[in-house]
Amino acid sequence: MKRISCAIIAVSMLMAMTMGVGAADADKYAVKAPIKIQWWHAMEAQYKPLIDKVVADFEKQNPMIDVEAIYQGSYADLNEKLIAAQAAGTTLPAVTVANTPYIAQYGDSGMCEILDPYIQATSFDIKDFGAGLRVASSFKGKQVSLPFLISTQIMFYNKDMADAEKIKLPETWADMDTFMAKASKVSNGATQRYATVIPGWDQWYFETFYLNSGVNIVNDDNKTTDLGSAKAVEIAKQLKKWCDSKQAYWAYGKDASGIMRQNFIDGKTFSVIHTTSLYNMYATNCKFKVGMHYLPGNKTRDSEIGGSVLLIPSKNKQDVKNAGWKLLSYLTSKEVNMLWASETGYMPTRNSVTQTAEAKAYLAEKPAFKAVFDNLDHINPRIQHPAYSALAKIWMQEMAKVVIEGGDVQASMQKAAKQIDEALQD
Amino acid sequence: MSEGANMTKKADKVPAARTKAPNYRRREKTKDFLCTVPALGFFAAFVYYPIIELFRISFTNWNLIKDNYKYVGLKNYTWLFAGSGAEKWLASLRITFTYTFWEIAITLAGGMLLAALFNRESKPFSTMRAIVFMPKYIGVSTSAIVFMWILNDQFGILNYVLNAFGIASQPWLNSEKTALASVLILTGWRVVGDGMMIYLSAMKGISPEYYEAAKLDGANGLQRFRFITLPLLSPTTLFLFVTTFIASMKVFQSVDVMTSGGPYEATNVMVYWIYELAFVEFRVDRAAAVACIFFAILLAFTMATMKLSDKNVHYES
Repeated sequence: MKRISCAIIAVSMLMAMTMGVGAADADKYAVKAPIKIQWWHAMEAQYKPLIDKVVADFEKQNPMIDVEAIYQGSYADLNEKLIAAQAAGTTLPAVTVANTPYIAQYGDSGMCEILDPYIQATSFDIKDFGAGLRVASSFKGKQVSLPFLISTQIMFYNKDMADAEKIKLPETWADMDTFMAKASKVSNGATQRYATVIPGWDQWYFETFYLNSGVNIVNDDNKTTDLGSAKAVEIAKQLKKWCDSKQAYWAYGKDASGIMRQNFIDGKTFSVIHTTSLYNMYATNCKFKVGMHYLPGNKTRDSEIGGSVLLIPSKNKQDVKNAGWKLLSYLTSKEVNMLWASETGYMPTRNSVTQTAEAKAYLAEKPAFKAVFDNLDHINPRIQHPAYSALAKIWMQEMAKVVIEGGDVQASMQKAAKQIDEALQD
Repeated sequence: MSEGANMTKKADKVPAARTKAPNYRRREKTKDFLCTVPALGFFAAFVYYPIIELFRISFTNWNLIKDNYKYVGLKNYTWLFAGSGAEKWLASLRITFTYTFWEIAITLAGGMLLAALFNRESKPFSTMRAIVFMPKYIGVSTSAIVFMWILNDQFGILNYVLNAFGIASQPWLNSEKTALASVLILTGWRVVGDGMMIYLSAMKGISPEYYEAAKLDGANGLQRFRFITLPLLSPTTLFLFVTTFIASMKVFQSVDVMTSGGPYEATNVMVYWIYELAFVEFRVDRAAAVACIFFAILLAFTMATMKLSDKNVHYES
């Protein structure tokens, strides 16, 4: 009996100590005085009512925190302002969004507050995000940001056309030839309708074809690429072949995205490869039913994460970081997760949310998203390398040049690979 | 008072006056200098200090976001002149000079031509002058977006008009052969009116007596323009040349909005490249090295132009 009592006392003491430590940690990150903070985002004017609502709800729950949500332009504009503020060490926001490719560079430079202690102290349910999303928002195993507005590559297609003409969407890379022939309308060398449009203005859209075929964009040594390999050249040749035969076209240039959208809306292309976040835009503007099809696979059938994450700049004072964490955890909470998804066209990021009645209602309203929901486990983080921006630009330009202007694909890919190797080693 | 005493007094007074004058001048100089202090302070803070900092950064490996960086000596300059940056640097310099050449040609030739054409006092001419001059005051980004749509491959009005005449559509902004020319179309539309106005004001300053005398001597219109207008416009031409040269070498906005340096870096002018190095590739150290060399080039060219102009510019006075 005495032993049992001793054991109970010991366990109780241990629990009390643990809870005490937890409470002390939580206290360390608590907001103790009224504070005004800034949240920088990249959501255009049409999302202002949504942002105002979310901020108002947050302020209601956290009366000591006054949030000023500031639209800072595109992700690139926001990046410029953020790194300028970081260099100056002043005017930094408490919380900011960042496009996913920037995370490697920000993380490598120590610009982001490491969130692991906050997560532990406040028992934030990080595991509710898919593993891919957790990796995409971390750097070298440390959680430096949290997933926010997440998207992935997808093929939007004209569902009415597909049903009427019985066009089978490609499940594998091998199906692509048949699909291109069936979905396009080319006669006398002129195209009446493209099968698809490949967005060549951003390598993210065609990168997945290479990854699924087993091409290492960045090798394990982090210093070289396989983009000059026979496998990579073969994919580039295939992409060029479809464009040369006018079954597809390579969208490139500053206005390429707008032209591609317009062609799809006008029925001049059966499908386009784009980001899931634009579903609402397509669904609203097209006079036909818009379907979403997960991109065809080869050795694997994965896609990559796009969109943005939320982070706290580490140069902020602790009281700002604490208020920032409150806001960050709210913006990524289960409470508002579905709201972001339904209002913006981005994907729900929390696994628990996808099982809720809200999510079911969302799918009933937007059945096209089933293609995404069914593949949540196949959406992988993007490649993280501090020189990835340089790599992406070299690759994107060489691909566009060889596909649009013509030339030897092998020579072009090898030239790109050489330049990329230099950039990676640099 | 004796004459000798008077002489002594005078002798005492002269040195006093002499010492007073330098003091006065010194006070005036100090006052003058103090008047320039606010402007100098402004320049020191926002021009000279950034230049010195830029030079310092070019010897580091700073990426703008890391707090720690180290001095790497001439590494960034070696990359620029003898490393992988050399090819890009030469290409960018060539594109920048090509752009500058055409902008100067449009401003000088177009401006002078329009000025000669519109140098008349009547309401229709004054309206036409206003129309030609107006684009200068429309924001570059706004005009660039409008021009992007005019030049659009598939939906642009320019190709629509060309098609109406049986000419095939051109990928104006998406072909490396036409992209720089397309940016120059916007530039020309914006700058030609400015050149015209400056030339017009200079033309109005030329004394009509020269023309009357030339007429009496039997000079025709072309001869009067060649031997009177042109030489007397040379100070204005020099002014326009130098200001247009500096402004066009720094072109950024129209390239950023219309092409982002593309396609395939065909419009990758120097300032845009510097911007990309700093804010896209996070290589502010390299961007600083490129900016320093670019600054030196601009300075050297401007100084050479000023030196050459001493011999060839005719001032009426």
